[in-house]
Amino acid sequence: MTTSPAGVRPEPASFRDPANRVFHVGDEVLRGLDEQAAAHWRALTATAFFPALVAAGKVCATEDAPPALVPASAGDPWTAVLRHERIPFVSHPYEWSFTMLRDAALLHLEILRAALADGFTTKDGSAYNLQWRGAEAVFIDIGSFEPVRDGEPWAGYRQFCQTVLYPLLLTAHLGVDFQPWLRARVDGIEADQLRPLFAGARRLRPGVLTHLHLHGAMQQRHAEASTSDVRAELRAAGFSRELLLATVRGMEKLVRKLDRRPTGSHWSDYQRTCGYSAQDRAAKERFVTDALTTGARPRLVLDLGANDGRYARLAAEHADYVVAVEQDPAVVDELYRTLRAEGQRRILPLVLDLADPSPGGGWRGVERAGFAERASADAVLALAVVHHLAIGRNVPLPEVIDWLAGLTAPAGAVVVEFVHPEDPMARRLLANKPDGLFPDYRRDTFERLLAARGRITDRLELPSGTRTLYRTVMGG
Amino acid sequence: MIHLAYLDAGSGSLIVQAVVGGVAGAAVAAKLYWRRLVDRFRRQPTDQR
Repeated sequence: MTTSPAGVRPEPASFRDPANRVFHVGDEVLRGLDEQAAAHWRALTATAFFPALVAAGKVCATEDAPPALVPASAGDPWTAVLRHERIPFVSHPYEWSFTMLRDAALLHLEILRAALADGFTTKDGSAYNLQWRGAEAVFIDIGSFEPVRDGEPWAGYRQFCQTVLYPLLLTAHLGVDFQPWLRARVDGIEADQLRPLFAGARRLRPGVLTHLHLHGAMQQRHAEASTSDVRAELRAAGFSRELLLATVRGMEKLVRKLDRRPTGSHWSDYQRTCGYSAQDRAAKERFVTDALTTGARPRLVLDLGANDGRYARLAAEHADYVVAVEQDPAVVDELYRTLRAEGQRRILPLVLDLADPSPGGGWRGVERAGFAERASADAVLALAVVHHLAIGRNVPLPEVIDWLAGLTAPAGAVVVEFVHPEDPMARRLLANKPDGLFPDYRRDTFERLLAARGRITDRLELPSGTRTLYRTVMGG
Repeated sequence: MIHLAYLDAGSGSLIVQAVVGGVAGAAVAAKLYWRRLVDRFRRQPTDQR
């Protein structure tokens, strides 16, 4: 990551559109616009739809800023500079659950429809145009708006299919989780990569014949034709804005129809089966509350292995923002739906396997920052996860503690639960492993390792006697 | 003014939007292909001369 002497850091994900570029200056998010983009911005602010979308929280709040704030691109100074609302935690579509991606899709299409009615369009259709304020999707790519040219279809359609619609079709129609597919391909799933999975009667599922098969066939057939020729031909043949609006409405109808197939998830009833007594639970909640209210109010809390979000909610009462990560997409989807129904804007649920967190992706591996790059929390909750990593995934205990320290901001706190080897849950995990494989999985070893990385400020053995909670100030 | 495309919209991806746009869209697509066909026949005699 490059940093200029003035402390201006160009956003590594913002380079594909030369007309504008995003920079970070301290805590601020700024966007430089070239002459044409600045003209589009001025026209955009004069429309009716744009301020309405910003007021409704659907588009990130944006205002003019002094152009001197960001350095010139390739010698030419930016014509205008914008200041954006800061998104509390940047996430990627492969960390979202099905319903999150679907809601993001519907918001993108709603914004496009509102823009078209007012003479504007979006020049792309990427899932990466969207971010979250808790369980509320927000469109962030202000540079994507441009005046619509009548008689032209949506330039972002192909990208929308690849990064939004095809992943949704994969999960809705085949019950296959889309996250690993999106994570592996920064530009999304191509039609030809998905078509073989939709053979036979599956062709008849909603959206498949047209948006996938016909689209893929047309891409092959017209691979040689230039898009400017095709645009002119379509205009001459009478392609109208009404037709474009009808297409967008059709896609909205399709996306609304797509739903996740219910699957029996091991984790979705974890809270009921995990064997906590009411006494243990009450003691644990008290400990977590005390741990988060000692010292300054945390700005960002990470809840690792959030499950149904019980502790994420507790944390949200004492922190500005909580990122609740959980590896089971079905569990995250349930959590998201509940949070959305509550209008929760300070808890962001994400799909993430703790033993295989999102790596850096895209150009030079920095275009999409890895999870570890983004996570620097004032408090990390690791409740009932250490045994899953240490026994379930064979991660050595010192590694687990190093990893927790790495996710914590300097002087931040880690609230961690150690499940003793005698605990029924730990025994269940150990029963599937060869005898004597984990001689170091002991409470005293864990405590010694923790003390070597930070200062243990509080400690509580739960009434059941097989679990201990620690609050540790890292590096302290 | 040079218009910088953010990315390639894809020729096939543009045409398919007419096809998925219901009856009116199909009519646009049919007209586009009809024009291409007519153009091909019109051009042929000129080419042979």
